[in-house]
Amino acid sequence: MKISRRDFLAWTVAAGVALNVEFNLDNVNNVMAAETDPPIIWIQGSGCSGCTISTLNVTNPTTIDNVLLNKISMKYNSTLMTASGDLAMQTLDQSATQYKGQFILVIEGAVPTGANGNYCVIGEVNGVPLTMQQAVLKYGPMAKYVVAAGTCASFGGVSASAPNKTSCSSASTILSGKTTNPVVNLSGCPVHPTVLIQTLLDLILIGMPAVDTNHRPTKYYGTTVHATCERRDKDNCFEDKGCIGPGCQNVCSTLKWNNGQSWCITANYACIGCSNPAFPTSPLLSGNYD
Amino acid sequence: MSTIVLDPITRLEGHLKVSVTLDANNIVTAAQSTGNLYRDFENMLVGRVPKDAAFLTQRICGVCPVSHAIASSKATEQAAGFKPSLQGLLLRDLIQGANFISSNVLHFYQLALMDYVQGPQVHPWTPGYTQDFRFNATDSQALINNYVAALSIRRQAHEMGAIFGGKLPHVGNVVPGGVTATPTATDITNFRNYLNTVASFIKTTYAADVNKLAAAYNDYYTVGKGYGNLISYGVFDTNTSGGLLFPAGTVTNGAVGSFTQTNIKEYVGHSWYSSPSGANPASETTTPNFGKAGAYTWLKAPRYSGAPYEAGSLARTWVSGDYRHGVSVMDRHLARYTETNKIATNMLTWLNQVVAGVSGSVNLGIAAPVSGSGIGLTEAPRGALGHWLTVANSAISKYQIVTPTCWNASPMDDAGLVGPIEKALIGTHVVDTAQPVELLRIVHSFDPCTGCSVHVMSPEGVEMSNFVVQPLGA
Repeated sequence: MKISRRDFLAWTVAAGVALNVEFNLDNVNNVMAAETDPPIIWIQGSGCSGCTISTLNVTNPTTIDNVLLNKISMKYNSTLMTASGDLAMQTLDQSATQYKGQFILVIEGAVPTGANGNYCVIGEVNGVPLTMQQAVLKYGPMAKYVVAAGTCASFGGVSASAPNKTSCSSASTILSGKTTNPVVNLSGCPVHPTVLIQTLLDLILIGMPAVDTNHRPTKYYGTTVHATCERRDKDNCFEDKGCIGPGCQNVCSTLKWNNGQSWCITANYACIGCSNPAFPTSPLLSGNYD
Repeated sequence: MSTIVLDPITRLEGHLKVSVTLDANNIVTAAQSTGNLYRDFENMLVGRVPKDAAFLTQRICGVCPVSHAIASSKATEQAAGFKPSLQGLLLRDLIQGANFISSNVLHFYQLALMDYVQGPQVHPWTPGYTQDFRFNATDSQALINNYVAALSIRRQAHEMGAIFGGKLPHVGNVVPGGVTATPTATDITNFRNYLNTVASFIKTTYAADVNKLAAAYNDYYTVGKGYGNLISYGVFDTNTSGGLLFPAGTVTNGAVGSFTQTNIKEYVGHSWYSSPSGANPASETTTPNFGKAGAYTWLKAPRYSGAPYEAGSLARTWVSGDYRHGVSVMDRHLARYTETNKIATNMLTWLNQVVAGVSGSVNLGIAAPVSGSGIGLTEAPRGALGHWLTVANSAISKYQIVTPTCWNASPMDDAGLVGPIEKALIGTHVVDTAQPVELLRIVHSFDPCTGCSVHVMSPEGVEMSNFVVQPLGA
């Protein structure tokens, strides 16, 4: 049996994880640098690009320059890529075709289905607009893994909030039963950069993560932000002021945000539950907190 | 005669298409800029409690969320007849300043520079146009190295903002009433350390690189002028009596004038809306009409006293007197640098006024109006931003947002005047129509952000309710 360097590495790391061996993932991941490695194709629908910007803020496991130069091959991301117009759309399609069954599709933003998907057009192919809905339906089934980055892509989020005149849907709704592996949801508004980058690396190195009932990795969404909140059981706890933290799973209270600088509770406002399927509720907080 | 269609224009936030018509000499004779996303934000906000709009409207744009939170908070505060404390205003300035720095550094290095320098020969920096690169290998490598350094600086600027704002993008505590954080002495020291690092980069690296670009491409001082009219709503409160670091104002035919928000009207003559054209946002309604004859876009056309105006760094620095060299592609880059440096310098002044142990919010309850209306005007990095709010029975009954990219990427208005980006493209000579880098340089100099363009919808020629609408002049 011929085994590729990547397969060997993936096997080694998987075995290491199973045996609880400590790996220097940074070193292992560096081997993934070559342009021939399975690429990331990142498309943006009905959203704000906040998940792309959040990803640029990554520091753990490493910084974005190291990610882009040495760890992944970002074939398509309209915020970052040099190519525009036809050259961009050709890059998208050629990458997906060349790496069919191997690439990771990252979906940012919800997918508008109203007006035949025309509320969001990601580009033009031979003079014909390609809607986000068409792009997701075309490239989702071609990908090895599909990652929904952020709450809009995972659950609809702000983009799908009432009255949802654009009929926005989540990535997993659009792609139900159509993908090689189930869509991995990484909710958060925006997605936490560590959750996004480490999940991409884990998919490349190990494969599908264990997920919760909302198809999110239990590694990151296994406990509520309240469980490890610095204010839990203290006088200044926001729980009786409508805080959603006791019912919201994410890494905020453990990893914090922006290189560990702070998070919403430290900034003295209750959790608005931005990684929940129901986000954004009306009102955002569950009580009459003012 | 030929046409060039660029869809998508990448290296910006959102979805933007540009199409131009060229004459036999490859001079642009007509141009259309079109957003490709409609989100219906204003209707989402109706029925919600006013303070939640400060959180939800941040989700319009991941590049300038802080400006939306502040505009929304100001609108609610005006409706409630409330003014935040100096501490609250200073904390907003510092969080917004951090985001401005992050956004402006991102714009120059990550969004604009690849139109002038060949990047690393790996994705996402390749493929790309190879037309008109003028730097030698040494300078190119130095600029690419600074591209990488700038990734770290813009990240650290966000980390700085998160010290007082909780997280970025999408801060957790800018609300009607102020900023709920109570800074500690450690927070202030931490912020100061970040500011020193970021300011040092701006004053040395960014300064040198923008001047290097201007020297190598000095012909771009005469490319992409557009109308030359500029508008700023003003930003960065310096006291509790309305003082602003960058004042509100207009520039018309080179002359600085006052700004009065009632002079803003939005026109929909060439946009797919059946609602009345020419209304001020406070009384404006938004009724989509997909098949409307003569319309070619879902972007409305905001006009000031009936004329198209350009918003952004150049407008702010011209009104403030910090940069008045000219209106062009290169002037926009120089102005953006100039204001970034000024913001960083003033942030140190503001930081020195922040008092440890004092909350930035007086009483959020004050800022929960039962009824009334308010207008929140501020600036996003890419230009003038306004939120118009009406409250009835403690809930939002009406919300209108006019974003900077609505000003800059607006379509033709009812009087037949095209938008500022469209105007800036007209007259441009495209050397190689297969690699129209000149068009990218012009569009990118505006730092457009179509996620901000709330009204923007799908482009011309897209089927809507069984209508196929063709572009004007097609």
